[in-house]
Amino acid sequence: MIMKNRYFWVLILLLLAGSCTNKSDANGPKKVAVIVSTLNNPWFVVLAETAAAEARALGYETKIFDSQNNTALESDHFENAIVSGFNAILLNPTDSDGSIVNARKAIEAGIPVFCMDREVNSPQAATCQILSDNYSGCVAIGKYFVQTLRTKATNVPINYVEILGLVGDNNTWNRSKGFHSVVDHYKNFKMVAQQSADFDRNKAMEVLESILQAHPDIDAVFCGNDAMAMGAYQALVAAGKANEVGVFGFDGADDVMNSIRDGKIKATGLQSPQTMAKTAAQFADEYIKGKRDFAKKIPVAVELVDQTTIRDYPATKKS
Amino acid sequence: MPKNALKYMVLLVLLGVVAYHSVYFKRLDEVKGSAGPNAGQAFDAASYAGTFWTQKLLPATAKATDFDALLSLLKTDKEKAFNSYSHALGIGNIRYFLVKGTSKVTAVGDNDVTVLLSSGQSVKLATDYIFGNAARDVSGLIQITEFDNTMDLNNVSAELNAIIRNTVVPPLKASAKPGATVNFVGAVELNQAHLHLDTIEVIPIVVGYGAEGVGKTALKVN
Repeated sequence: MIMKNRYFWVLILLLLAGSCTNKSDANGPKKVAVIVSTLNNPWFVVLAETAAAEARALGYETKIFDSQNNTALESDHFENAIVSGFNAILLNPTDSDGSIVNARKAIEAGIPVFCMDREVNSPQAATCQILSDNYSGCVAIGKYFVQTLRTKATNVPINYVEILGLVGDNNTWNRSKGFHSVVDHYKNFKMVAQQSADFDRNKAMEVLESILQAHPDIDAVFCGNDAMAMGAYQALVAAGKANEVGVFGFDGADDVMNSIRDGKIKATGLQSPQTMAKTAAQFADEYIKGKRDFAKKIPVAVELVDQTTIRDYPATKKS
Repeated sequence: MPKNALKYMVLLVLLGVVAYHSVYFKRLDEVKGSAGPNAGQAFDAASYAGTFWTQKLLPATAKATDFDALLSLLKTDKEKAFNSYSHALGIGNIRYFLVKGTSKVTAVGDNDVTVLLSSGQSVKLATDYIFGNAARDVSGLIQITEFDNTMDLNNVSAELNAIIRNTVVPPLKASAKPGATVNFVGAVELNQAHLHLDTIEVIPIVVGYGAEGVGKTALKVN
C-alpha cells in the first residue's frame, strides 16, 4: 500500500515537472508575430505576408494578426502575443498615437517591436521603425501634379480635391504635407474640398460623388492612397468626367500601375512593402541573435511612377 | 461668536485650501505638448537648416564631385558611382550626388536654366521646382538618429529649399543669358535601379557667373 502511494506521488511529480515548460521553448522554433492594421486592403496583405514569409525563411514560426483598423483589437493581439511567448513582433500600427501603449506593453515585456510602414509617435515604443518616406514621395507627386496641370492652363485657376486617409495616421499627414509643400507654392491651385475616406476605395468613391455635387468643375483629385484613387476614378467614370479630371494616388498598387499604363490614373508613389517587410523580419532575426544597436527610424524611398516612368516598371497581370 | 462656529470656519478654510491645491485646470494641448517625445522643446527647423547650411553644407561643396567625371563613371560603372559618391538618409533606389561643374548657358526657361557641361552633356539647373530632399541628404552629414519625429526631418528639407529659393536662385536667374559661363555646385537625384541620364535636373547650392566667378557666390572649379 505504501509502495503504491509512493508510485502515485512520483507519477504526480513527473507530470508536474513535465508540465513546467517555458512558453518560448529554447529548443523549439522561435516565434514572430505579424500584427497588421488591416487585411482588408491588398497592400497590407502583401506587407503582412511578405514579413511572415521572410521570418519563416529565417526559421521562425509566424502568425498574422489582423487589427481591423481597431486599436482595441490590436491591444488584444499584443496581449495574446506576449502571453503566447512570441520572440518578436513586426507591427503595422493602426494609429500613430493609439498604438503606442500597445507596442510599449511588448517592449516592457522584453519583446522587440519593429514597425513597418506606419509610425508610432514615440521612439521608446519600438525597437526600430522602417517607414516609407511618404512626405518625399508626395513631394515628387506634388511636383508632377503642378507640372502636368500647369501645362494645361498656365495661371488659370486650377481646382482640385484632396482625399485623405485615416486622420489618426501619421502617413496621412506626411503625404498631405508633402503634397502641399509643393502645390501651395502655386497660387492658382485651389483646393475646393479636403475630406477623409479612411484609405478605403468605396468610401473614396462615395466621398468624391458627394463632392462632385457641390464642385462639378474640378481639374484633379489627389488621393492619399491607391485604393482611394481607384474609388475616385470610379466616381469620375460614373459622372462622365474621367477624361477631364486627373487622378493621383499613392502606394504603387498593381491595379493603379496598370491604370497608369492605360492612361487612366496620372501618377502614384511606388512604395516597397516588400523592402519594409523583409527588412523588419531581418532586423527581428538580428535582434533575437543579439544585435541591439538599431537606428530608431529608417526611411524607405518612394519612387514617382508617372506617364513617362511607368515604362521602367514591368506590367503585372490584370485581375 | 460661538466657539464651535469659529472651529467650523477654520476647518472650512483649511478644506478650501486643500481642495484648491488638489485640483488644477490646464489646456489639453499644453498637457499633450509636455508629454510628447520632444517635451518642452519645439524643434526649430528654420534655425537648424540655417546652421546646417552655413556650417556644414556650404563647406561640403568644396568636396563636390566633378559632374563630367561622375557622368562618365555612371555610364561605365553605375554601381561604383553610386557606392562611392551618393548619399541618402534612407534605404531604396533614390540617391543624391553633390556635383560641381563649369558650363555654358544654352537656354533660359520659366522653370530652369539649361546649361552645357564641358563634356557636351546638357543638364538643367532648377529655378522653380526647388523641392525634395536633395539639399538635405546630398552631403551625408545629417543622421537619421538625430530626429525622433520624421516631420522635423521633412521640415529641414523644406527650410533648406527655402534658403536656395531665396538666396541661390535669384542671382542665378538674374544673370542667366545664353552664352554666359556658369560655375555651380548642386545636388542631383538619381534612381539607382532606373537610371536616366538624359533628363538630369540639378538643385543649385552655389552658383557663380564668369570664367573666374563673380561676387560672393563665385566658385572656382578645380
